[in-house]
Amino acid sequence: MTESRSDGAAAERDRKAAATAERIAALVGSDTWTAQFGTAKVVVAAGNWVEAHRRVAAELPFFSWLAAVDWARDVAVGEPPEDPETPERYEVMSRLADVTEGEAVILSTSLPKDAPVLATLSQVYGGAEWHEREAAEMFGISFDGHPNLVKLYLPDSFEGHPLRKSFPLLSREVKPWPGSVDVEDMPSTENPEA
Amino acid sequence: MTTDPRMLMHHSDVAVSVELETPDMTLNLGPQHPSTHGVLRLVARVDGERIEEVEPVVGYMHRGYEKLAEVRTYPQITALVNRIDWVSGFANEVAFIVAAERLMGIEAPERAQFIRLILTEMFRISNHLVFMSSYPLELGAATPLMYALRERERVLDLIEGVTGGRFHPNFNRIGGVKPAAGGGSNQKNVVQDLPAGFLSETRDAMEKVLQVCDDMVDLVLGNEIFVVRTKGVGVIPPDRALAHGVSGPNLRASGVDFDLRKVDDYLPYDRFEFDVPLGENGDCFDRYLVRLEEVRQATGIVLQAIDSIPSGSLRAKVPRVIKVPKGECYVRAENPKGEMGYHIVSEGGRGPYRLKIRSASFSNLSVLPWLLEGVLVPDIIAILGSLDFVLGDVDR
Repeated sequence: MTESRSDGAAAERDRKAAATAERIAALVGSDTWTAQFGTAKVVVAAGNWVEAHRRVAAELPFFSWLAAVDWARDVAVGEPPEDPETPERYEVMSRLADVTEGEAVILSTSLPKDAPVLATLSQVYGGAEWHEREAAEMFGISFDGHPNLVKLYLPDSFEGHPLRKSFPLLSREVKPWPGSVDVEDMPSTENPEA
Repeated sequence: MTTDPRMLMHHSDVAVSVELETPDMTLNLGPQHPSTHGVLRLVARVDGERIEEVEPVVGYMHRGYEKLAEVRTYPQITALVNRIDWVSGFANEVAFIVAAERLMGIEAPERAQFIRLILTEMFRISNHLVFMSSYPLELGAATPLMYALRERERVLDLIEGVTGGRFHPNFNRIGGVKPAAGGGSNQKNVVQDLPAGFLSETRDAMEKVLQVCDDMVDLVLGNEIFVVRTKGVGVIPPDRALAHGVSGPNLRASGVDFDLRKVDDYLPYDRFEFDVPLGENGDCFDRYLVRLEEVRQATGIVLQAIDSIPSGSLRAKVPRVIKVPKGECYVRAENPKGEMGYHIVSEGGRGPYRLKIRSASFSNLSVLPWLLEGVLVPDIIAILGSLDFVLGDVDR
């Protein structure tokens, strides 16, 4: 019984996300969209970034967040992408939502590694200002036209962009995390059937 | 300097005969200040008592969770995210775990989902009781704190009985919840998952919480000073709130009828009846009123849930080593402070390739420079307190 309920719910989420993604993609003039795991995502060109948001803002007025992903083949932290041929780029995502039906979409664009510059959204969504400051200091992405693109979290004297994949976690380089030896045994001891 | 009184008189005559000049002053508040819920610094440019411009300086609590998550496994991250908003620890876990579960195609058993829901609502009650009592304290009323925290302690005891922790339970597991405290890792008897007496003690505690809500109406809302200091102060219009991503009770106080518990399905809230309280004016008073009413609704949800909790296992079958297949998933939850969401970018590893943490207080606080423009200095405290943020939730 729970099986059918969960499968039905997941399918319903994906159907809803696909409907939103398709509609928003048409609205912003994009033909690339995905709707997996209930998450709708529309890819827009970097040059169309602000205009796309302007069009979406009338329908999805709630600015949820903006974030970046550093797609890199060589990583100093964690595991590299599954596909070794992953195109190297910065992906910037912004999530916009409505406040009636629970519709939401992620707009995504790609920036080249050597010149990551994007126009600011702060004229469209006031809330983007802080999120862009965070993305700027963490990834080294520049936001054109931003009213106050200074560091948000980091001290003014901080050098480097910590969320880039090339930025190592120095404390772990010096001394490996002591808990790493026993972590994988915990799930089985808690769940004997598995 | 002359000490001749006649000369002094002469000087003062000169002063009043010209245009009075009051140079702008820069006022620094924080980072250590009792009303700032952590370490927030405000640099305000004031003209007399009126604020012309204010610049919040955040980052004193920045712990780099998004970077840390890239070198941690999924089970380890659950312990980290507890500490984002430490007043509602358990609620932070839920959205992250549900996002990972969706990527893996797992759904927690119904009983586990009910336990998650009950604990989330208990943390909502706990969070709002802290707000309802500490906010009047910031405005000078010390008494409500004693009453509200006494009842909050009952709720925390219940949480401790189930999870073993008061603040950071770390109780969620991918596929369900941990066996309850005291049950031990070999616990196979599922009826022992909630401690003995939990249901009756919960009923008792919820009754006490409802009583303290009534007390708060008398003590706080009936207090003329409180009313004068909050009514019409710090008004956030709905369109401004939406553009800044203000969510949760702060958004609903502005009259926007939006509650993720009603539109999303991360927990089975559709089985329960509850109202979404709304404000009308979006001022500090309404933000208090909305949270007070939310506590009453949350007690109703808890009581309905303990009456209808199904039996069954606490955890779905999960692989021994948790690896999440490639994909991206965003799950958001209605946390006590607003929309808490996790965007997991997985590349098939034991930890996420990238984890974006969307915390409610960050967006709620980003409206502050606009909101504080033109208000009087004493109103800073009233407005700050009414937003109900913690800096751990802002800085992550």
